[in-house]
Order: sequence, then C-alpha cells, then structure tokens
Amino acid sequence: MHLTVHQLAKAYGLLWALKDVGFDLPPGEVVALLGPNGAGKTTLLKLLAGLMTPTTGKIVLDGLPFANTPIQRAAIGFLAPGEHLYENLTVGENLHFFTSLYKKRQASSRIDAALGEVGLKHRSGEYVAALSSGMKCRLSIAKWKLLEPSLLLIDEPYGVLDGSGIDLLESFLRAESQRGSVVIMASHHVARLVNVCTRAVILHQGRLIFDEPRQQPWDSFTRAFGEFLPHETSWSS
Amino acid sequence: MELLTQTFLLLKKDLRLEMRRRESLLTMFFFGTLMLFVFHFSFDLVPERVAQMAPGLLWLAFLFTGTLGLAQLFEAERNNHCLEALLLSPLDRGAFFLAKTCFNFILMVLVEIVVIPLFWILFNLRSWEVIPYLFLVTLLGTVGFCVLGTLLSAVTLRARARELLLPLVLFPLMIPVILSTIRCMEAILRNGAIGDALPWLRLLVGFDVIFLTVGILIFDWVIEI
Repeated sequence: MHLTVHQLAKAYGLLWALKDVGFDLPPGEVVALLGPNGAGKTTLLKLLAGLMTPTTGKIVLDGLPFANTPIQRAAIGFLAPGEHLYENLTVGENLHFFTSLYKKRQASSRIDAALGEVGLKHRSGEYVAALSSGMKCRLSIAKWKLLEPSLLLIDEPYGVLDGSGIDLLESFLRAESQRGSVVIMASHHVARLVNVCTRAVILHQGRLIFDEPRQQPWDSFTRAFGEFLPHETSWSS
Repeated sequence: MELLTQTFLLLKKDLRLEMRRRESLLTMFFFGTLMLFVFHFSFDLVPERVAQMAPGLLWLAFLFTGTLGLAQLFEAERNNHCLEALLLSPLDRGAFFLAKTCFNFILMVLVEIVVIPLFWILFNLRSWEVIPYLFLVTLLGTVGFCVLGTLLSAVTLRARARELLLPLVLFPLMIPVILSTIRCMEAILRNGAIGDALPWLRLLVGFDVIFLTVGILIFDWVIEI
C-alpha cells in the first residue's frame, strides 16, 4: 500500500481539528504519530479510515483517490484496543464473524493459529465481555492479523498491554511492515514507538510540525520531540 | 448474491445476540400482552363493533411494541464502537439495512403470533376463520413498519434523546401503512373475506416495495450521517 495525503483538513464548526496535513508513505512504513492531547491524532486516523469525511484535502491509496468503496475499506484496518468487538459474542465467534465479513478463506484453522499466537486459544469460547482490557487488545491484534489490511491504523495500544503483549504487538507490526503494509500508530509512549517505527510524524494544534524518516541516531527527532512536546513524560520511560 | 450472503451473516449475528440477551423480545412480548390486558379492562368489545375497533387496538399495540424494538435495534452496534467496525468493513450497507429490517421483522412476527390469538381469546371473539387473513395483512403491515422503522432508527442513531425523537418522526410517516392495514383488517372482519380489502392491500404492498428499495439504496448515506 502506498499512501499519499494532500493538504488534509477537518473542521468541527469553526474549530479546525486538522489543517493542511500532507505526507507520502511508501509500502512497509511504520509511522509513529505523536502529539499532545487535542493535536488531531485520532481525527487524522478516523479520516484515513473513512470514518469521517475531510473538510478539504485528498487521500490517495495506491494511486487511487479514496472513495470509501468496499474494496478500499477491505484494505484498511483500525486497531482501537478493546473496541470494535461484540462483547456478547465469544472470542471465536467474533473472529469468525469478521473473517466472514472480510471474505477470508480457511477461517477456522487460521483463527486457531492466530488465537494461539496471541495467547487466547484457551479462551476461544469465552465472551469478550469477560476479558480484561489487555486480553481484548490481544484479540484485536489477532483480528487484524487475520484480516490482513494494507493500511493499519492504531490508536494508543500501549496503555493496556503488559510486557509480553507489547512484544506481541511489536512483532505483529514488524510482520505487517515486511508484508508491505503501511502502519500508522498514534501513541504517547514515545520510548516504545522508537523500537518499531521507521518514521515519526508530530502533530501540534492540528498542524503537521515534524515528518522525518528514522535515522540512526535519531537526533532530529529527539530535538523536535523535546522542542514541541517538552511535557511528554513517556519519553524517558 | 453477495448482498444476501452478507445479510444472512449479519442477521445470524443479531439473532445469536438476541438469543443470549433476550432483552428486545422479552420487553416487546410483555409490553404487547400488557397492552392487551389494558384494552381488555378498558373496552367492552361487543361483536357488532369488532370490525370497527379490533384493527385499531391491535395496531396500537403493535406500534408501541415495535417502537420499543426499534429503540434497541442498533444497541449491539452502539456498544463498544461496533458500528464503526461495520462501517470500516467492506460490508454492503444495503445488506446492513436488510439484516436489521429482517431482524426487527422476526421479533415483531414472534410477538404478533402471541398477541393476535390472545386478543381473540381476551375479547371472546368467535370469528377464528379470519385469523389467517388478518395474519397476512399484519405481515405486510409489519414489513412496512420494519422497513421505515429501521431507516428512521438509523437516521436518529446519533441523535440525543433518540428514544423520544424516533416515534415523533416515525408515526407521521407510518400513516399510509397504519391506514391501509387497518382498513384491510376492517374489510376482512366485516365480510370474512379478503375481496374488499384489495385496494388497500395494493397500497400496502406498494409502500413496502418502495420503502424497501429506497432503504437499500440510501442506507449507505443514512448510516454515515
């Protein structure tokens, strides 16, 4: 998936949540989307997912303007930890439902394998409502492993995951990157993001103020981070 | 074909959730029967006035009962942002509309299967031979109610005080369905046959077909408002 965003903007009444945001992401890019609360991170993710319509600007997926068609929607994933799952269906039923909706073949065997990978195989028959927040996040990871999106959008995944869950997420992101997917992950846990991302984007008051690929050492990023987000506490964690 | 496959998949999911929670069906069932008892104690339905009053009373019960069901129709999707999950997916929104309409229709029919015979028993009515015709007309009326109800339930999905707003929008638009269904039932109860009811029946079928088609076509836009 090649994602290009041209001068994207979103206004809520008179308030511009996002203004003139643009970037170009080649296949395999894992982007850390950073910014303080209210910077426009979730708005940007929802615009890219097609859950909101931009006020102005254009999103281009693999050379085609995003028109929210079923084929384009099938290529976009949105991992919001613990959300987008039916709480009164079991873990297995949720995965069967979504794999059928996305027309994925050999669902049963792949579901078993995915649940095994995220450590939920023994809880396949339990209702999602009975799972902890961390377990639900693992289930969301299993879901998107099965649905294989070409553009994966992730909203703050680190808050609910334990150490092994974070390792699991990071290995999933690396696998997605190797598969050629573009991953955009919004989070405040900068120290964690540094481990996996290949590019950093910083939003501040709805504007894109930093967009750089990762370099070793990542001096420009740390400088920009310190300059624009001095109160971000997770950096040193 | 894809539309029907997706409709079946969503309908299966909704029925499974309803079998587990039984919130909508039980509420509708108890409310429907409760209304019959209220009518029973309020009205003395003499045989000469059956044709005049029974259809109106029955449809009053169905309307209020059905509105309770409509208020709960998208509850599974409202929880845990599941509506977003469906809107993100490659699902045909026409299939989403059909599945919700079918689900609502199934709940309504299950309630009607109990309520109509119970009405006859409570009011000690003897004309049991007209019940199959009444069921046929009621089914067509229920299709109209569910089609329009599902559409408006989706329109008011993100509104504040949607439970109050839904009947205010729904009832005026339901007038053609209610009127033609009640007139059909009245004609059947008067004459014991469906012959005189045919013009109203045609209007009812026309309403069902038009709103079903419109619903499938515009639901994509309605659900994203």
